[in-house]
Amino acid sequence: MTKILKHPSILIKTLMLACCLLSGVSVRAHMLNMTNIGITVDAEQQAVITLRIDLGQSLMTAEDYWIATQAIGLEQRTLLQPTLDQLDRDLTFLLDGRVQLPKLTGFKISAISLAAIQNPLTPQMATLYYHLDVSGGSNLNVQLADQLEIPWPCLMKIDIVGQALPQSRLLTNVDRLSRDTLLSSSAGNLESDRLAQLAYSWSRLTPEFTWVAVGFQHIVPNGLDHMLFILGLFFLAGGWRPLLLQVTGFTLAHSLTLGMSMIGIISLPMSIVEPLIALSIVYVAIDNLFATKLARWRLVIVCLFGLLHGLGFASVLANIGLPQDQFLLSLGLFNLGVELGQLAVIAGAFLMVGWFRRQTWYQSNIAQPATIAIAGTGAYWFLKRIAF
Amino acid sequence: MSSIDTTNRPGKPGVILGIAVFTASLFMVEHAISMVTTPLDFSTEDAAPGTFPDTWIHGSKSAMDNEDPAVQVHAYNDHTYILRENKAINYEGAFMYLLFGNKKALLIDQGSTASPALFPLRDVVDGIISEWEAKHGQKTTLIIANSHLHGDHYAAWNQFVDRPDTVMVGLTHEEVIDYWGFSNYPEQRIEYDLGGRTFIVTGTPGHQSSELALYDTWTDLLYTGDMFYRGRLYLEDWDAWAASIKRVRKLADEYPVTHLINNHIEMTNTAKVDYPIGTNWQPDEPPMEMTLKMLDIAVDAIDDVNGPGIYKYDDFMLYNEIPWAYTTDQ
Repeated sequence: MTKILKHPSILIKTLMLACCLLSGVSVRAHMLNMTNIGITVDAEQQAVITLRIDLGQSLMTAEDYWIATQAIGLEQRTLLQPTLDQLDRDLTFLLDGRVQLPKLTGFKISAISLAAIQNPLTPQMATLYYHLDVSGGSNLNVQLADQLEIPWPCLMKIDIVGQALPQSRLLTNVDRLSRDTLLSSSAGNLESDRLAQLAYSWSRLTPEFTWVAVGFQHIVPNGLDHMLFILGLFFLAGGWRPLLLQVTGFTLAHSLTLGMSMIGIISLPMSIVEPLIALSIVYVAIDNLFATKLARWRLVIVCLFGLLHGLGFASVLANIGLPQDQFLLSLGLFNLGVELGQLAVIAGAFLMVGWFRRQTWYQSNIAQPATIAIAGTGAYWFLKRIAF
Repeated sequence: MSSIDTTNRPGKPGVILGIAVFTASLFMVEHAISMVTTPLDFSTEDAAPGTFPDTWIHGSKSAMDNEDPAVQVHAYNDHTYILRENKAINYEGAFMYLLFGNKKALLIDQGSTASPALFPLRDVVDGIISEWEAKHGQKTTLIIANSHLHGDHYAAWNQFVDRPDTVMVGLTHEEVIDYWGFSNYPEQRIEYDLGGRTFIVTGTPGHQSSELALYDTWTDLLYTGDMFYRGRLYLEDWDAWAASIKRVRKLADEYPVTHLINNHIEMTNTAKVDYPIGTNWQPDEPPMEMTLKMLDIAVDAIDDVNGPGIYKYDDFMLYNEIPWAYTTDQ
């Protein structure tokens, strides 16, 4: 083995030999006998699963499959039973990470001849039908056990009533777990949202952690404008107390509008919210540079900006979609993630430059240039967001 | 209220000037970046030139002893790459195409082997894209598309699902139709803009019911996938294929075509003789690209075909609605 690892060409050759041997077993032009899993979910969230598989070239011998096709009624079912049992064991459906047992509702097997079954170029496909209740679930996966050898690749198609397009997944002998297929109507958005994809893959492990992670990532690394706002507060001359007061006020305010917006009480177009968020960054930075004393109304202003940023968070969360059955919990956890993200920004800033806060040169060499850069970036974003 | 340390503060004019300068600098940097990445011009009057290799890498007697790369990469020109899967890895020896426009690249098909260890298509494509991006100063979004939905053309599809800056068109008919924007498949012609490089896309079912042909207005190459190539044209729906080949001919009537390009080589250099299915070594294979004259012969063949069966022509064979097991060498 060590020799193989030291000489990759040996490994490649070994793999190629294995591939050739395998292809010798099931040579097939254009892979017409590839396996298909079709899943159709109706409005009552009941799924019909249709499995098309070349059983005579995979899980059964050609002779056994031929005999089964010639049998009728209970005898046919008895002949197929070991194969059906194997599929029950090795073809797993996971609803939100939990194993589900679909119920076989019927099958169609036929073949024109034993020779046709034996010839991999004339696939004689079997069709098996299953029923699965997916109500309450948001995420469906299919997993093929390592020992399950079927004609590859295996194309999975999931069609959900109310969704404009089906979702396709490819299972191969090296990728035996499908990527998530999302059952909710917001699946289209989720598909294109890398953040949400990551969140949903984590959800299989720790569902609660998912929303904290989504919230955190909306600040670090994806929320550069929110990060700059927090840094604007950080670079305000003064002690820790006013900083903590402002961050807390900001947090409470954006939690309020985030919640109200998600429930549907308030909404504001992003074309207005986004430029105002940029302007809020300019404001705190300029206030840092010009204020001679920390006015109480600054806290009020920061809270007002918090209301604004909350609407920005809500737009992200609306794209992802909260599960209706755990709406408040998910919302709260997302918010917690946002707070942790903000604290991470402050902690990071402190680790980088906070040590020097008491130095005489801190203001002129660090805080003021950084604040000017923050104001300049905010102004740049503001102009970009209103102009384009 | 608490006091703020105001020592060593710059004056108001200095602060405002500083902010303005910083803002202006950001705009200047943005402008400079856009200047560096001047869009490529794909609007030449004549066909953009390109070359095909004299011969393609065509497998070997012993697949195990094959030392060729898993993926052969041939640059037809600076923005058009033709890839071929090593026939020693999979006898299909499928061709794939990586086509660049401004900020977008289109990968048509992903070969016949899923394993990244055997067939590292993603690494190869990433390498070509990185080199192209560095050379042309552009960041590219990759579109993963397919000529049609047969497994020997998307086996390595999963290698791209976690790739950043990538759009996966999808492997169902509905997703394909939606991505290209068809409202009347297959008759409709779609103008597809790959960042200044325009393609005419039309439906060509017959071999498979979601197949596409693409005409590149920059190179004048006409891509016909699996519905027309030097080999056994397996037709599951004769009427659909007959309509498709006429549709392709009509497209070629209306636009200048330099070559027809496609997905496989299954013929030998001897007229009407093909390699057996499953061949891992094709030492005497003809070029992949085809001519308009061959397309005319295919159109004329419509009159010859009068039912299921094998119809042989010098450069291709029609396997019309027959089981694929019946090869010409049997």
